[in-house]
Amino acid sequence: MRVSFVVNGSAREVDLPPLTRLLDALRGPLALPGTKEGCGEGECGACTVLLDGEPVNACLVAVAQCEGRVVTTIEGLGDATHLEPLQRCFIDHGGAQCGICTPGMLLAADALLARRPDPSDGEIREALAGNLCRCTGYQRIVESVRQAALLREGGAR
Amino acid sequence: MSLADLGCFELKRSVDLTALCELVAERHARGRATVMLAGGTDWMVEQEMAPPRGADAERPLVVDVSRLDELRGISLVGDTLRIGAATTYLEIERDPAVKRRAPMLVAMGRDVGAVQIQARGTLGGNLATASPAADGVTALAAYDASVVVRSVRGERTIPFASLQTGYKKTTRAGDEVIVAVELALPPEGSPWAWRKVGTRRAQAISKVAFAAVAVLDGTRVARVGLGMASVAPVTATLPTVRALLASRPITAVDAAALDAAVDADVTPIDDIRSTATYRRHVAKALVRGFAVSLVAP
Repeated sequence: MRVSFVVNGSAREVDLPPLTRLLDALRGPLALPGTKEGCGEGECGACTVLLDGEPVNACLVAVAQCEGRVVTTIEGLGDATHLEPLQRCFIDHGGAQCGICTPGMLLAADALLARRPDPSDGEIREALAGNLCRCTGYQRIVESVRQAALLREGGAR
Repeated sequence: MSLADLGCFELKRSVDLTALCELVAERHARGRATVMLAGGTDWMVEQEMAPPRGADAERPLVVDVSRLDELRGISLVGDTLRIGAATTYLEIERDPAVKRRAPMLVAMGRDVGAVQIQARGTLGGNLATASPAADGVTALAAYDASVVVRSVRGERTIPFASLQTGYKKTTRAGDEVIVAVELALPPEGSPWAWRKVGTRRAQAISKVAFAAVAVLDGTRVARVGLGMASVAPVTATLPTVRALLASRPITAVDAAALDAAVDADVTPIDDIRSTATYRRHVAKALVRGFAVSLVAP
């Protein structure tokens, strides 16, 4: 099935079996391997991408359901030469270690900050509750998001 | 994991409810199954975890209903809240009318998986899967919701009490599409409770979940609706507890009588998530806690 959708601001088309996981479409034909596969059953959030601005597990979304929709992956957030303040905060505050959960964490956090520019710690933890990290203990991730919120408030974005 | 099998399914996009009903009916008449796919938070996992069936195995046709207009949206007319079957939990949580008039649904929605699941999961999907562990269905039980289904034979409304007949079995016919749920809401500010007991708050399937709404008339309970997840083969509606709470002034309902009523209404089992003994204990604690909250709101 041909599926046309917008990925990271560009119109893209794939021709794949309709129930191909969005995750596989991204990492395969669309050559965007920044989205990671963790559990493959919607538990860990490593494959989190934004679908029309909302965080979803790309392992549970059929690519055919993305027709006409807008997908944002970690490659759409910022790259090594143009880091988003949120990404910079994850580096500066130890929110990223092994890196497997980081793309999903960043996108879930980005969606939170888009709706709640000044979230409480509770709101940050709730927004990231679907993203598992086995390295950091979460505290540094929460601090990274809090710092990013402060930066954005200060007009860095 | 049989990811390869996912590539063997056919999928149709549905844009019109009438055409969808005709398609489902035509296939049903030929003994062919149709999967109506909304958020995919259950179904995609089931397929990925199922043993491989091979490319030649017969498969249901998958129809994407996730953006079918007739299955989406929330409306409040008088005291009747109607939620389209393909409306996501996130949309329910954020709806101003739901926040004001059905705050229990907001609390419940925030406990469904995590935000990634709430952005995809739907009440219609949970009603179709009919798991007795489903949080959303537990909340519907407490509201005594009606389930609106449509087929080429017309539209009908299934009262919640006659929806589930056994483990993952419902009275919905094979050619019927779940369109919406309708809830007769208590007055604004009425007492309610939502409690989910699981291994952790997010991403856990409930060991026990409890939903309750009530309308008080002085010390009498004029209306009470209860739902409980993971304590029976179907979503429990706790009829003995309801009858007890409505039978006398709330101050005259004692804990021992409540415990006995819970015992009469639940049949929990040991499984991978919990034990029958623990579930029975938690069920009693949750019901008692709600009763106490009615005495001193």
